[in-house]
Amino acid sequence: MDKSKVIDAQKLFVADTEQEWIARAKQGDQQAFHCLYENYHRRIYALCWRMLADKESAEDVCQEVFVQLWQKIENFRGESKFSTWLHSVATNIVLGHLRKHKNWLQRVFSIEDQTIQDIPVEMVDSTELSALDKQIARLPERARCVFVLFAVEGYRHEEIANMLGMAVGSSKSQYHRAKGLLQQWVTL
Amino acid sequence: MNSQNLEKTLQEQISQLPKEMTPERELWSGIEKAIQHKNQQNASVKSHRPSIPMAWAASVIAAVLLTWGVITPQQPQLQAPISLVLAMQQDFEQQKQTMLVSFGQPKISALPVDMQKQLAELLSARQAIEKALVDDPNSSDLLNILRWTQKQELDLIKQLYSPQWQTI
Repeated sequence: MDKSKVIDAQKLFVADTEQEWIARAKQGDQQAFHCLYENYHRRIYALCWRMLADKESAEDVCQEVFVQLWQKIENFRGESKFSTWLHSVATNIVLGHLRKHKNWLQRVFSIEDQTIQDIPVEMVDSTELSALDKQIARLPERARCVFVLFAVEGYRHEEIANMLGMAVGSSKSQYHRAKGLLQQWVTL
Repeated sequence: MNSQNLEKTLQEQISQLPKEMTPERELWSGIEKAIQHKNQQNASVKSHRPSIPMAWAASVIAAVLLTWGVITPQQPQLQAPISLVLAMQQDFEQQKQTMLVSFGQPKISALPVDMQKQLAELLSARQAIEKALVDDPNSSDLLNILRWTQKQELDLIKQLYSPQWQTI
């Protein structure tokens, strides 16, 4: 049997099933929503972890994403892929979380985070993390967010600048800063 | 290693990053609980809809009365800002108390250390601003910062205790 046809059929089946889960979840079916959760929560958790660089916050925000998804799923009209839409919802929630949890001093005086996370790479807690993930966690917050959104999630600098409320040039320079630090750490 | 090699190594590492990570904590039960809570809330909002305009009206009346009290002071003009600070403090304490009562009078000492630290930072900031206002009661900047700090403290308390699913 032609292997590519089998794969195409599998993809179609998964897409159909997903459409069914979405339609049922929109009508309040929690079991269907649980299926969506099972399918996507690891991807959303990875995004949260990389952006927040903290296991517990990532777990809390991942939960928050799915609670909000339950309330917002009726807004999904199928104009884009569900995974793309879900990632943009999750990204906004993560960024909102970062804004909310900014130290009050940083908010009052608009202090930029200039310092590199002074966590030695061996202290980043999980042994399951890839070497690069451990280094990403050490990046300063802004540089880390821009790097993850651009290099890992595939957003354009214009979109990132819009999401983070910064100039496009700043997004590019934060990305280069992150890249420079990561390359520097790779050589150590 | 030259810069081209570095770039290549980094790109390779990025392309090999896992798309998924597994959280250590079981997250679904908390989500399920929160969803059910939201569903109940929505149902009760729907069934109590007529009382909402009443609550709004009560807030508007309270705000008008408070403003009236502030703009028509019985004391001499110079003491007005002190009265405003006192009114702000009393209003804040009342809101905070009501909020804590509604969350079942939780113990601050049971919170994670970093949360306790944030609350303590806000408290000491608020006290410093109140102290500064005693010396300079006319400063609108200080009044604004005091209002902002009070709001942050209330928001933080609300955030810490209302999302029940976060504690699971």
